[in-house]
Amino acid sequence: MAAPIRQADLEAYLDEALPADQMARVERALRNDEELLAKLKAIYSRRDSGVHTLGEIWRRHRLSCPSRQRLGNYLLGALSDDEEDYVVFHLETIGCRYCRASLNDLEKQQAEAHADVEQRRRKYFQSSAGLLKK
Amino acid sequence: MTPPSESDLLLTQRIRAGEADAWSELIARFEGRLLAFVESRLRSRAVAEDVVQETFIGFLTSLPNYDDSRPLETYLFSIAAHKLTDHLRREGRRPTLPLVPGPVGSSSFDPAGPARAASSIYRSSERRQIEEQALVEAIDGQLRHWRGRGDWRKIQCAELLFVRGWPNKQVAAALDISEQAVANTKFDFLARLRTAIRSQLLPRDVFPELYEVE
Repeated sequence: MAAPIRQADLEAYLDEALPADQMARVERALRNDEELLAKLKAIYSRRDSGVHTLGEIWRRHRLSCPSRQRLGNYLLGALSDDEEDYVVFHLETIGCRYCRASLNDLEKQQAEAHADVEQRRRKYFQSSAGLLKK
Repeated sequence: MTPPSESDLLLTQRIRAGEADAWSELIARFEGRLLAFVESRLRSRAVAEDVVQETFIGFLTSLPNYDDSRPLETYLFSIAAHKLTDHLRREGRRPTLPLVPGPVGSSSFDPAGPARAASSIYRSSERRQIEEQALVEAIDGQLRHWRGRGDWRKIQCAELLFVRGWPNKQVAAALDISEQAVANTKFDFLARLRTAIRSQLLPRDVFPELYEVE
C-alpha cells in the first residue's frame, strides 16, 4: 500500500523540495483527489496568514543540511561512521533534494577531474613506455 | 545551518559592483547543482538549462533586495524552485491555485500579486522575518547542541517528526528506538523551542505547533 501523502509532503511539494519521484506522485494524486487539493489550498492560505510550521522553516533554512564540504568529504569517505550515517539518512530517508543536487554535482565534478587525471597519466605513459626495458 | 561564507559575501559585493569576473565565478560555482536540482524534474536537458538561466537572471534582478545574511546557495535554490514551478505550471504538470503562488523564500524577489487573500492575522513582512529568525535560531541552537554531543539519533528523530511529518510509531520503527524515546525527544525539543521563543516575547499564535503537546 502506498504511503499516505501527509501535510509535510504537501508543504514540501509547494516548495519543490520533495525528491523528484515523490513530486510526481503528489502531482498525480492532486489530479484526482479533491480533498488533497483542498489541503494544498489550505496550506497556501495558512502561509499567506503568516502562520509557519516548524518543518517548513526547518526545510526552508536547511537547518540540518550538511555543508557542501561535508558532502564532498562523504564522497571521499572521510567522515566518521556517525557522520556518514547521518548524511545517508538525510539523503535517502529525508530525501533532501537540495543536498542530492549538490551531491550529484560533486560526483560529476569528481568524475570529470578523474577523467583529466586519467588523460594525464596516459600521456605520461605514452611518452615514457618506450624506455621500458624489453 | 551553514551561514554565508566570507567568499560568498565578497562575491556578492563584487557582483553588486558590476564585476563581470565575479558574475562568471558565481555561475561556475553554482550552475552544476542548480542544473542537477532542476533536471531531476524535467524531461529535457535543454529546458533545464533554460530554467537555470532564468534562475541566474532572477538572481541579478533581485540583487538589490537580496539579504546578504541569507546563504547564497539557499537563495539560488529558492529562485530555481520558483522558476521550475512556473515552468511546470505552464506545462500543466502543477495545479494552478488561486492564491499567491511560488515556493516560500522566493517572495523577496517576486512582486505581490493583485489577488491576495485577506489575512486573518495581519503582520508586516518585517515582523514575520523577525519571528521566523527567532525560531530558526532556536532550532539551529538545539541541533548544534545535539551535534556537539554526537546525538545524531535525536537529530534524525526530530527531522523525521517535523520535516517529514511522520507519526511517532513510524519514526520509532525507522530508527529502531521505542515510541517512548521518540515522544521524549519530541517533548524535549518543543519545550526547548518554547523557552527560546518566550524569551523573544513572541505570541503563541505565531507558532501554534509548539504548544500542541504542552
